[in-house]
Amino acid sequence: MSLARASWRAFVVSIRLRVISPWSYLNWLVFPLLFAAVGLYVLNTRGASSSHLVYGVLGGGLIGYWSVAYIDAGNGIQDERWSGTLEQIFATPTPLWAILLGKVCGGMLFGLLSFLPTAAFAYLGFHAVLPALDPWKFVISLGVLTLAFFCIAITLAPLFALWRSAFQMLNGFELGVYILCGFMFPVAVLAPWAQGVAGVLAPTWAVRALYASTVAGGPHDFALWWLVAGALSVAYLVCAYFLYGLVEREARVSGELALA
Amino acid sequence: MRRLGLEVAVFGRSTYLQYVALFQWATIRGYIAYKILLPVTQILFFVELGVYATGRQNALYFALGNALQLTANAGIFGVIATVANERQFGTLPLLLASPANRLVTFLSRAIVNVIDGVATVVIGLAVTVVLFGLDLHQANLPLLALCVVVISLTTAGLGLMFGSIGLVMRDAIIIANLVYYLLLIVCGINFPVSRLPGVLQLVAYSLPLTRGVQAARDAAAGASLGQVSGLLGGELLIGLLWAMGGYALFRILESWARRGGLQEAY
Repeated sequence: MSLARASWRAFVVSIRLRVISPWSYLNWLVFPLLFAAVGLYVLNTRGASSSHLVYGVLGGGLIGYWSVAYIDAGNGIQDERWSGTLEQIFATPTPLWAILLGKVCGGMLFGLLSFLPTAAFAYLGFHAVLPALDPWKFVISLGVLTLAFFCIAITLAPLFALWRSAFQMLNGFELGVYILCGFMFPVAVLAPWAQGVAGVLAPTWAVRALYASTVAGGPHDFALWWLVAGALSVAYLVCAYFLYGLVEREARVSGELALA
Repeated sequence: MRRLGLEVAVFGRSTYLQYVALFQWATIRGYIAYKILLPVTQILFFVELGVYATGRQNALYFALGNALQLTANAGIFGVIATVANERQFGTLPLLLASPANRLVTFLSRAIVNVIDGVATVVIGLAVTVVLFGLDLHQANLPLLALCVVVISLTTAGLGLMFGSIGLVMRDAIIIANLVYYLLLIVCGINFPVSRLPGVLQLVAYSLPLTRGVQAARDAAAGASLGQVSGLLGGELLIGLLWAMGGYALFRILESWARRGGLQEAY
């Protein structure tokens, strides 16, 4: 019960911090809208099929959701270090994972908001809608995607704290993730080797299911896609378990984490 | 004459110091991440998006547009960060207290980023040639190079304008993000400006890049200097106006920051 309360408090604090942070608005509101605008202009060519436009409707939201997941939530430990509160967090009897759970959930909630402005923009600006939306499959796919992003954020948090250049590299490769996960166009258009790389990323499968739930045509192997995304997400969590061990060692044994 | 020499010396010293002190992110890893990885993936993303939407035959349109837009990476991000970092590093009060010519120190903030912008476009064009087979046999290469230099200068002019806001705003890099991605929409990088609503077309032609990118596309198709001189002249004029506006804003905000004691507010 006390762990749930600690997570809840971390969640509330993270939401409050995001409400007043301009960066937060950049990630969940501005970026998604800008990418949605480019996507919709490019995809909305004369005679474009409705399946093309779907990528414009949801693509910006997916980009915003991912940005919040990896930047805001993934920096859960790093933020504490920059704020000088890392030692206090490690000194409290509450386990680190319980605090991060609340923080990451707060980030994910803000990330989900990205879909609202982009969908509204697509509808009002381009009269673009989701043509054959299957609500249940859409919701489940979004849930699977949320699980994938959550597991990635939980895994990245210790990684970013241990290796500062990891964030730099992922930040530089941000648009590469958009490509490999098929946020704005299907992965099937990529070279075979790139599709192989995309296959080990959990969001790729969840995004595939998400788009399939909005159109009538094409393959609809939802169960398989959800299963693969779920399995890969669990694999990330296993990696995260070992990374948190490393963070604990750096913070408590060597005391070097705050110096990194 | 002696005064001019002194100003040139201040410009050179200031440029050198801003390179060694404010280009601090340019470690090897930082450079790979933000100057190689980011540009390459940006080109790949928009080319794949364009190919998916309009077909393989249009790949070069997207590749060239995005390769040229990379000048804004240095011109916008670099210049804004350069001005804003003075405040973050606590050196702004020293700069404002110095008797050095403001215009000279102001312009020196941009010069390294202009050179860096040209380097980034060269990387982008190399990627475009290798991955998408951009055929430059017909291109007027000296003119294309001139276009790249002009675009780098004009985007730096825009960067100076928004960099000035860094004197009084804590998160000026947010503005950099906003402006950088806005240029992707309105400057004819991924689709023609004519597809935008009338008001946005007006915005497009009041910004750097729009004419410069069009001139560079023409140069890549083999146009002569005479054919694109109007576009390049307009591009230079727009960049100059933004830089002058930036300098005026810099002086106003300098005075405001001094009065309000905002130089060290961080």
